Amino acid sequence: MRKPGLLLSPSAWRTIGQSLFFLLFLVLFIKTDYAGVDELTWAVNLLFRIDPFLALAAMLAAKTVIALMLPALLTLLLTLLFGRFFCGWVCPMGALIDSSRRLFGRTNTLIPEPGRRQLKYYLLFFLLAAALFGLPLAGYLDPFSLLVRGFTFAVQPGLDHAATTLFTWTYQQAPPWVNAVTEPVYALLKRLVLPFSDKVYALSVFSLLLLLTVLGLSWVERRFFCRKVCPLGALLALVARFSLLRLSGGSAECGQCRQCRSVCPMAAIDETRAIAAAECTLCLDCQTHCPRSRFHYGWRRNGSGKQTTDLSRRAMVASLAAGALAPLALSTRPHARQAEPLLIRPPGALAEKEFLGLCVRCGECMKVCIGNALHAAWLEAGLEGVFTPRLIGRIGYCEYSCTLCGQVCPTGAIRKLHKPEKQAVVIGRAHFDKNRCLPFASGIPCIVCEEHCPTPDKAIKFREVEVDNSKGERVKVRQPYVLDHLCIGCGICEHKCPLSGASAVLVTSAGESRHADLNIRDGY
Amino acid sequence: MNRRQFIREVFLWSAGTTLAIPRFTILPEAMAAEKPPALLSVAKGTEYTALVARVLQPLGGMGQFVRPGDRVVVKPNIGWDRSPEQAANTHPQVVAAVVAQALQAGAKRVLVFDRTCNEQRRCYANSGIERAILDLKDSRAMIEHIDQRKFVPMQIAQGKSLTQWEIYKDSLDCDCYINLPVAKHHGLSRLTLGLKNSMGVIGGNRGKLHHDLGQSLADLATVIRPKLTIIDATRILLNNGPQGGDLKDVRRLDTLIASADPVAADAYATTLFDLAPDAIESTVAAHRMGLGEMALDRIKVLEA
Repeated sequence: MRKPGLLLSPSAWRTIGQSLFFLLFLVLFIKTDYAGVDELTWAVNLLFRIDPFLALAAMLAAKTVIALMLPALLTLLLTLLFGRFFCGWVCPMGALIDSSRRLFGRTNTLIPEPGRRQLKYYLLFFLLAAALFGLPLAGYLDPFSLLVRGFTFAVQPGLDHAATTLFTWTYQQAPPWVNAVTEPVYALLKRLVLPFSDKVYALSVFSLLLLLTVLGLSWVERRFFCRKVCPLGALLALVARFSLLRLSGGSAECGQCRQCRSVCPMAAIDETRAIAAAECTLCLDCQTHCPRSRFHYGWRRNGSGKQTTDLSRRAMVASLAAGALAPLALSTRPHARQAEPLLIRPPGALAEKEFLGLCVRCGECMKVCIGNALHAAWLEAGLEGVFTPRLIGRIGYCEYSCTLCGQVCPTGAIRKLHKPEKQAVVIGRAHFDKNRCLPFASGIPCIVCEEHCPTPDKAIKFREVEVDNSKGERVKVRQPYVLDHLCIGCGICEHKCPLSGASAVLVTSAGESRHADLNIRDGY
Repeated sequence: MNRRQFIREVFLWSAGTTLAIPRFTILPEAMAAEKPPALLSVAKGTEYTALVARVLQPLGGMGQFVRPGDRVVVKPNIGWDRSPEQAANTHPQVVAAVVAQALQAGAKRVLVFDRTCNEQRRCYANSGIERAILDLKDSRAMIEHIDQRKFVPMQIAQGKSLTQWEIYKDSLDCDCYINLPVAKHHGLSRLTLGLKNSMGVIGGNRGKLHHDLGQSLADLATVIRPKLTIIDATRILLNNGPQGGDLKDVRRLDTLIASADPVAADAYATTLFDLAPDAIESTVAAHRMGLGEMALDRIKVLEA
């Protein structure tokens, strides 16, 4: 079964490879954070930049070549040479699906059937056509986007909360000798894996459920997501059909032995033991389990391993047409005329239409946001805007001198800005709710907002006035107001407003510098 | 009822009342008796490390405040994501020099921290203070980020406006607490000096203190009691405080002020801004509570 001299089985080597790449993914994920200097020193968004599906979708949407995404070409070239190794060896989602199989998978001995594996191709065609014609949805189903969103919004903050709860309990209740052990452990965890500060995220549970659904689909059949849904897998499969190197070996002569077919997670081996190069992820399980060691990986031979992808021309045209026609409906929504005023985009975000086209919903900007200000939008930007970043001032604010979101954006949907540039970008403007603001509403001194306003010439100023306070006394208070030409909409005033519940300062997207025209179309 | 009878009656009745309502408040006079002498030292110079040593000399040097084996807390202002020349935070060289002095005096451990307003890591890094402490290369000198678990609810028995608040454990549980604020402009309190700097050791929703800021700061000063206050006026922020950002608002004074009396230190520092001590509500409130001296003619200024 095993080649002499090879200590580990081929499958074991694959598992090691998968683990290493998963580890790399985790390191990049954790490194997606402020590290003491303004510029990130790691290419933390690398994973997204080698994703040819997102690259293609973003480039089609922008109708231009995005230099940042060119590493994705390498993935395609390697796939053309080696086949769909990416799915079996590199993809961290694949690694997670494989490793969680014991939780979700069923142990049936039936030989897996190809089923409707064409679905992923139609989905790919639909998504690419839709991207080209103005409905960018690629990020919804991209495996990396799904994974990073789940980890950013729910997994890491959840672990942090659990750890903090535990170590707060030991810190407060346990005797010193216990703390002598637990405190260094906590410090180490904080340094290595937990976020610096506790964070909350909009759509956290939803994102976690989506991630769990992808993993849970293994219950239906092994690697269900990779076989039938994953649009990245579909793109790689289209290329892998023509790969120069591939697995082959079995034949009809193998008789009743169907070992290879029953272990193949992708159902890529048919009755004649021919391996569909498009489906095979080179997991090498067949090689490991073949009692006669018939499988080998090598140059493609003419006539061997021919398998069609069973694509129907009619369905293909239909999915392309659906993608091309679906965007027509978009212009009928109120969004087309009036942007949602509470939708505040990160500094450096392109004008809304271009922004949506390029944003791949990877969640990197929200992961790196030092102020926990960026959150996943729900329907504020329309159906195609779910998971795009928006600033929620009450939860967090945009740190005046921080430029991290533009640094991690893999497609340039958020431009990389230098500090002075960023400090001049207007993402919205603040205004006061005088019914709640204390110096107005009850004659109580406050102006915490003015204290925190970061522009060197403060955008929030105050007037000293005499008013009757809520006790009926005549008092002097300082009442704040906003100077529009100085306000950049960072939201620190909204965030730090000491009122409980809703803030007395609100930031809206009014006046944002990226597209002044959209808000006032068809005005007076 | 004759006079003797009257006195006896009064004595009995009032004794009864006193027994029924136990009162343990310390009277302002008693507090005034225990207050430190209003000695204050001022020094000017451009070499800040030497300046710190010089300003402490007239007060008897750091050894007067830090005993060998002491656990010391040095509390600078690291509140803002600003660079040293922008004058929003205590000067890193001053902080490092104060820590070094405490180490020289034999401190077992010197802890530096602040609950920042901007993001902690950015403030620690860009204020230059983190680097300055690490560059001392002394394992006894530590700069730590705020650990939320260390905020403990504290009764402020003498508090008039603030009767309870969460206070950072390390600022209470130490042998010597050194307050090391930077002197600068502030929209609400006009200036932020030593008493205002104590807001960096409290938890909770700090903005609420602004509703009665002067009295709240005085109340805090009854429980957060620095043995030594050093006010950094090497450069001061005259406008757009407390975080500034425009170098035009910064004036270089190359001055340090040191005193064991927190109120006297604030009162004197106020004059650097051409204001009288009573322009600052917290100074007035703290003086009224007997926490220190604010009358300039009753503060003995020692020029070093």
